[in-house]
Amino acid sequence: MAWSATSPGANQPDNTAFTQQRLPAWQPLLSAGITLPLFFCVGLAFIGLGLGLYYSSNGIKEIEYDYTGEPGIGNCTACARVGERVAPPHPNCTCQWCFSLPELFQGPVFLYYELSNFYQNNRRYVVSRDDEQLSGLASALRHPANECAPYQRTPTGLPIAPCGAIANSLFNDSFKLLYQRQPNGPYDEVPLDRTGIAWWTDYHVKFHNPAPINGSLKLAFHGTAKPPNWPRPVYDLSPDPNNTGFVNQDFVVWMRTAALPTFRKLYARIRHVNYSAGLPRGTYCVNITYNYPVLAFGGQKRIIFSSISWMGGKNPFLGIAYLTFGSLCIITGFVMLIVYIRYQDENGDGDEDE
Amino acid sequence: MAGTVDCSFIRTLINRYCAGEDNWVDSRTIYVGHKEPPPGAAEAYNPQKYPDNRIVSSKYTFWNFIPKNLFEQFRRIANFYFLIIFLVQLIIDTPTSPITSGLPLFFVIIVTAVKQGYEDWLRHKADSAMNQCPVHFIQHGKLVRKQSRKLRVGDVVMVKEGETFPCDLIFLSSSREDGTCFVTTASLDGESSHKTYYAVQETKGFQTAEDIDSLHATVECEQPQPDLYRFVGRITVYRRRSEPIVRSLGSENLLLRGASLKNTEKIFGVAVYTGMESKMALNYQSKSQKRSAVEKSMNVFLVVYLCILITKAVINTVLKYVWESDPFQDEPWFNQKTESERERNRFLKAFTDFLAFMVLFNYIIPVSMYVTVEMQKFLGSYFLSWDEEMIDEETGEGPLVNTSDLNEELGQVEYVFTDKTGTLTENNMEFIECCIEGNVYVPHVICNGQILPDSGGIDMIDSSPGVSGKEREELFFRAVCLCHTVQVKDDVAVDGTKMSPDSSKSCIYISSSPDEVALVEGIQRLGFTYLRLKDNYMEILNRENDVERFELLQTLNFDSVRRRMSVIVKSPTGDIFLFCKGADSSIFPRVTEGKIDQVRSRVERNAVEGLRTLCVAYKKLTQEDYDEICETLQLAQVALQEREKKLAEAFEKIETDLILLGATAVEDRLQEKAGDTIEALQKAGIKVWVLTGDKMETAAATCYACKLFRRNTQVLELTTKKIEEQNLHDVLLELSKTVLNYSNMSRDSFSGLSNEMQDYGLIIDGAALSLIMKPPQPGNYRELFLEICRNCSAVLCCRMAPLQKAQIVKLIKLSKEHPITLAIGDGANDVSMILEAHVGIGVFGKEGRQAARNSDYAIPKFKHLKKILLVHGHFYYIRIAELVQYFFYKNVCFIFPQFLYQFFCGFSQQPLYDTAYLTLYNISFTSLPILMYSLLEQHVSSDMLKRDPSLYRDIAKNALLRWRVFIYWTFLGVFDALVFFFGAYLMIENTSMTINGQVFGNWTFGTLVFTVLMFTVTFKLVLDTYYWTWINHFVIWGSLIFYIIFSLLWGGIIWPFLSYQRMYFVFMQMLSSGPAWMTIILLVIASLLPDILKKVLGRHLWPTATERTQTKHQCLSVEQSTIFMLSQTSSSLSF
Repeated sequence: MAWSATSPGANQPDNTAFTQQRLPAWQPLLSAGITLPLFFCVGLAFIGLGLGLYYSSNGIKEIEYDYTGEPGIGNCTACARVGERVAPPHPNCTCQWCFSLPELFQGPVFLYYELSNFYQNNRRYVVSRDDEQLSGLASALRHPANECAPYQRTPTGLPIAPCGAIANSLFNDSFKLLYQRQPNGPYDEVPLDRTGIAWWTDYHVKFHNPAPINGSLKLAFHGTAKPPNWPRPVYDLSPDPNNTGFVNQDFVVWMRTAALPTFRKLYARIRHVNYSAGLPRGTYCVNITYNYPVLAFGGQKRIIFSSISWMGGKNPFLGIAYLTFGSLCIITGFVMLIVYIRYQDENGDGDEDE
Repeated sequence: MAGTVDCSFIRTLINRYCAGEDNWVDSRTIYVGHKEPPPGAAEAYNPQKYPDNRIVSSKYTFWNFIPKNLFEQFRRIANFYFLIIFLVQLIIDTPTSPITSGLPLFFVIIVTAVKQGYEDWLRHKADSAMNQCPVHFIQHGKLVRKQSRKLRVGDVVMVKEGETFPCDLIFLSSSREDGTCFVTTASLDGESSHKTYYAVQETKGFQTAEDIDSLHATVECEQPQPDLYRFVGRITVYRRRSEPIVRSLGSENLLLRGASLKNTEKIFGVAVYTGMESKMALNYQSKSQKRSAVEKSMNVFLVVYLCILITKAVINTVLKYVWESDPFQDEPWFNQKTESERERNRFLKAFTDFLAFMVLFNYIIPVSMYVTVEMQKFLGSYFLSWDEEMIDEETGEGPLVNTSDLNEELGQVEYVFTDKTGTLTENNMEFIECCIEGNVYVPHVICNGQILPDSGGIDMIDSSPGVSGKEREELFFRAVCLCHTVQVKDDVAVDGTKMSPDSSKSCIYISSSPDEVALVEGIQRLGFTYLRLKDNYMEILNRENDVERFELLQTLNFDSVRRRMSVIVKSPTGDIFLFCKGADSSIFPRVTEGKIDQVRSRVERNAVEGLRTLCVAYKKLTQEDYDEICETLQLAQVALQEREKKLAEAFEKIETDLILLGATAVEDRLQEKAGDTIEALQKAGIKVWVLTGDKMETAAATCYACKLFRRNTQVLELTTKKIEEQNLHDVLLELSKTVLNYSNMSRDSFSGLSNEMQDYGLIIDGAALSLIMKPPQPGNYRELFLEICRNCSAVLCCRMAPLQKAQIVKLIKLSKEHPITLAIGDGANDVSMILEAHVGIGVFGKEGRQAARNSDYAIPKFKHLKKILLVHGHFYYIRIAELVQYFFYKNVCFIFPQFLYQFFCGFSQQPLYDTAYLTLYNISFTSLPILMYSLLEQHVSSDMLKRDPSLYRDIAKNALLRWRVFIYWTFLGVFDALVFFFGAYLMIENTSMTINGQVFGNWTFGTLVFTVLMFTVTFKLVLDTYYWTWINHFVIWGSLIFYIIFSLLWGGIIWPFLSYQRMYFVFMQMLSSGPAWMTIILLVIASLLPDILKKVLGRHLWPTATERTQTKHQCLSVEQSTIFMLSQTSSSLSF
C-alpha cells in the first residue's frame, strides 16, 4: 500500500508520468495479513445476518393445499375429470377446501396460487404477446404482432385482443374464503382485496386500454375477437369498469411471465379491518371455482396462504446460505491463520510479513 | 525475404501473361530519347509495354473500397464466424435479435474500415502529390515540364540539386566534370551518408539539353527486381562514323527513385524502370506476417471454446427432442404451434434448433476480444516508443515499433541471436597498431587534440628496420592509403593546395565500412594522408609533405565472400601495383613471399585481444600483366548473365601470388553495458548466441569481454580445424558425451545452487556448421548438435555467411521444443536472420538502416535490449495473458447460466438476459476495465524487473497461458456461473421477494443473475489488479456505475422505438427488494472466495519469484513510509 514516486520528469509535457508508465499508483497486496481479519469480519457479519434472516423466514407461516384433483386426493377430482384433457372454457365447477387454524395466522396475509409444470418461460410462449397492443395502441389492436400466432387472428380473420398465448391462457380459477368463527357457526365471507397485486408501474403505465369510443370500452374493442379460450371478451373481464380490459389486475399479473416452470402468482391480499392482524383462530373454507385444466399437461395447482416479513415470503435459503457461508469464511480464516503462522515461522526473517 | 521473392515471381508471371507469351524476354531494351538505333545495329527487338510512372501505393479505389475491404475483413476467421452467426440470426427464427451480434460486428467492421479507408486516403493523397509533381523532360532538344506520372521509359530526365529522382534512371551525365554525383538514399534505406554514383563514361560529356538530344544510344538491362543494390545492364552508344561502344552498367550507374540529389547542380538520366516497376515500389511489399505464441494459444483456446459451444448446442438440441417427445410438453393446450410450425420437416427443424442454440451461446466467443486485443497491442506499443530510457542520448533517436503484433513475444524469448559488429560492439573503429614485417608500429595517442606531425609519432616496439625495411614500410603505408573506397567529404577539402598537415586532420572521410575510415585516419597519424580522388588520380600527402599522385586503374571491390579488396594503381614513377587488403584467412593462402610467420603470430595475438585485423599484400605488375587483367575484367563486367560469378572468377585469378606487407589492427570497442546486458539476459534464462562473420579469435575475445564466456566457462570447439583432425561424427559424439555426462551428473546431485554449475560454451564456425547441416545425414547430426547446444550456456558461431545466420535461427526455431527466438543485428547481413527469428530487432547501425527497416522493433543500442525484454516484454506478456484469460472467463460466466436456464425452460432457447444486456455486456459494461488493465498493469515495478532478471523466468514458456491455467480460469468461470444461477434460482423459486407480496418474472430473474455477474466479473479484475492508477479506478468503478445508470434508464422509460417493454421497471423493482440485495452481496462474495483463497494460499505456500518480490517491495515501502512518518513527527516535535 504505497504511492510510488512520480518520476522527476513528470512535468515535461511530452514526457509525462503516463507515457513513462510511472503514474502514481496504489499497490494493494492480497496477503494473509489483510485477508485474515477480512475473513473473520465477513464470516461474523454473515453469520449474524444469516441468523436474522433464518429466524425471520422461520417466522413466516404458510398453509398450502394442492387442489389439482388427482384421483383420490381432495374433493376437486370431479371438477378435474370434467376438464381433463380439454382446453378451456369449461362449465363452472366448484370444489372446496376447508382447514382450521389453531391460533392466529399473523398478518398481513397474502393469497397465492401456484402452478407447476407450467412452462411460462418457454420461448414460444414468452414472445407470444404484443406490448404495443397492450399499451392501447389502436393500430396494434387491429394488427397484432406476428409473434402472437397462432393466437393472432381468428380463423375468420378478426384480430384477437389481447393476442398471444400468454393472454389466451389467462388463469381463471377463482377463490372465495369463508370463515367459521365458532364451530358449527355460520360461515362469513372474508373480503379479499384484489387490488395492488400487480406491479404499480405495469398497471398504471405499461398497460392501457384503447381509448373508449363514446365512453364505451366495448365499442373501442369493436372489430376484435376474444382469445379462443376465454369465456368472455376482454372488456367484460371484470364487472368493475376501472379494472377491466387490459388494465385488469389478474390479467396484468398473469402477463408477467414467470422465470421457472413452477411459479406462484399473487391472487389477493387480506387487508380487511377485521382481519388486519391476520386470520384469527377458527375454521376456514375456500370455495374454489375450478376452471383451469392442468392435468392435461401433467401440472398441479395449489393455493397458498402466506404471511410476509420485511424480506418477502418464506424462503429459508437465504438464511441458510448466509449461515453456511459465514461459517465457511470463519473456517477458512482459521486454516489460513494456521498456514500464516507456520510459514511465518519457517521463513523466519519476516519474508512473508506484511 | 521469401515473401518478396514470391511476390516478384508472381509479378513477373503476371507481366509475362499481360505482355503475351511471345514478347517475354529476360531483359529490356530501351532507346534513349525514343530514338531508334541505326538500321542493322540493333538485334531483334521486341517492343514491350511499360507501365507509366504512376505510383500506386493505395490499396483501394473509390469504387472497389467497400467490396474489397469487406472481403479482406471477412477473410479473417473470427470475423467470418461472426458474420455467419449474424446471417443465421437474420435467416432463421432465433432467440436473440440479429442486433445483438450484428451491432458489435458492424461496429468492429466499420471502425476497421474507417481506419483502413483513412490510411488509404492518405496514401492516395501522397500518391497523387508524387504523381503530379513536375519533372523536367528533354523533348526535341528542349526542356519541358510535365507531371511526373506522364514519364515513360526511355525519356531523358533532368534532375536538379535537392530534387528526388522521379523514377529509376541510368545516370548519363552530370554537371560535375568528373561525371559523378552525390545522392542520399535516406528515404530508401535510411542511410543519410552521401553516396557517389558514376555517369556512363561515354555520355558524361553531354551536358546540355541539345547535347543530350543528339545522343543516340540503347540501354539493355534486366527486368525490374527489388534488390536495391543490384543492377545489371549495358549501354550501346552509336556514333556517326565509328563502331558503337558497349559499356557495362552496374548499380553505381542507376539512380533510384526516391533518392535525392546532393552536392551536384544537375544531372541527366534516362528512365529505365518507371512507376510500379521502380525498385522503390517493388520494395513496398510487406514482410510475411509473424504471429506470436500468445496469439497461437489464443487460437487454440478459441477452438476449445468452439467445441464447447458446439457440444452445448448439440446437448441442448438432443435434450429438446427428448423433452418434446411427450406431446403435453411439446404442445400443451396453452402453447399451441402454428400450422406452419407443425408441418416443418423434422430434420430441418432439428438443424435450425441447433443453429438457434449456437446463436444463443455464441457470445462465449466474443467479437470484442479481437478488438480489445488489437487495441491493446496497438496502444500498448506506444509505451515502448515513448520510453525515454530507450532514447539514445547522442542521436536522440528512440525505439521504433514496426509491428505491434509481437509485443508479448518480447516476454517469451528463450534464445537471443546477436550479431557482433555494430551490435555488441560500437562499430566505432580505432586504429591501434600496424605490423610491418614483424615490426610493430603504434601511432601516438592524440595529445590535446593535436597530432604530432613527424615520424616521432611512431613508437617502434621492435628493432628498427633496415634499409629495405624502410622501403617496405613506406610501401605498406601507401598501400593502406590507397587500397580503399573512402571518400573525402567535399565541403572540407575545397582546395587541395591549401592543405597542410595541420589542417588535414579536419578531413572528414566517408565510407561504407568504418574499418577503412579507421585505417585511413590511423595512417594519417603515421604520416601519410589521403587527400582525395581527382580525375582518377588518388592524391596522398607523404611524410615530406609532398603530394604524390597515383592513377587509379581498377578497383576490385570488397565482397563478403572474398573478404578482401584490391586496387590497381600506377605510381608517379610509372610502376603498376596491385594492393590487396583483406582478412587473414583470405590473404595468407594467396601470399607467396614476405615474413608470413611473424605477421601471422602478431595477427593471432591481436585477434585474441579482440582486435580486428586485416592483412595487406601487394604485387607489382608489368604492363602486359595489366593489359591481360583489364581484358579479363572487361569481359566479366560486360556480361549480362551471371556477371557476379564471372567477376568473382576474374578476381580470383587476379589476386594471386601476392607479397605480404604486414597487418593492421583496429579496435572495435564494446558497446556500453553490453556485458551487463548479456549477463542480465543469461540470468533471465535466455540463451545468448553470437553469430558473426568475424574470425574465431576476435569473436571469442569479444565474447569474453562481454561476459558471454566467463572465466570458469569450459569452451568447446567445433571448428573446421578440429574436424579435419577427426571426423565430424567423432567430434560431435565426444562433445555430446562431455556435455551430457555433466548435465546428468548435475541433475543427480542437483542442490539448487546453480552458481556451482559448470557451464559450457561452444564455438562453431561456418564451415563446420554447413557440414552439420548437409542433407545426406539428415536429423542425425542435427539432433546431436542441438543436444550439445541445448546444454551449453553460450554459443559462438563465427565465420558465418548471412544466410547461415538465418539457417541457425531456423534450426533452433524448428527444434523439438519450439523455443521463441530473437535475432538482433544492425547490418544488412543480419536481415535474413532478423526476418527468420520469431522476433527481429534492429539496432540503428552505422552501416545503414536496413536491419532496422526489416525488423519488428528497432532500438538505438544493444543495451536497450535489456529493458525491451525484461521490462516491456514482461509487462506486455502478463497484460495480454490476463486479457485473454479474463475474456474467456467473463464470457463463460456470462453464457453458462444461459445454458443452465435451458434446462428450466424446456430447451426452448429462451434467453436469460435482455437483448440490451446481451449486446452491451462485452462492448461497454466489461470492456474498458480489462483494456485499461492490459495497458497499465505493472505487477512488479520496472526498476525491480531490471534489477532482478530472474523474474523473467516466471513467465517463460507461455506460463500464464498453459493448459493448467486455462482450465483453472474456465473452471472458475463455470463455478461462478453455477453460483450465480443456482443462487438466484433458489432465491426466486416459489416465493415473493418484496414486502408487498408481489412476484417477479423471468426478466427480473435474468437481471438478478446479470447484476451478480457484472459485479463478480468486475471484482475479479479488482482482485487481479495490482497497479491502481486513477485510470483504473475511473474505468472500474465507472463501468459499474455506468451499468447501474444504464439499467435504471433502460427500465425507467417506455422506449417508443421498441416493440416490447419487457424490461420496464424490472431493475428498479429488483432494487426495491431487500432479499435481492442480500442475494447479490452473498453471491458476489461467494463466487470470489475460491479465487481469493487460491491467491492467498498460493502466495504463502508456494510463492513465485514475482510474488516474493511484491511482498518484499511492500515491506520496503511500508518501512519507508513509517520512517517518513517518524521523521515527520520528530521534526514536528522539535518545534
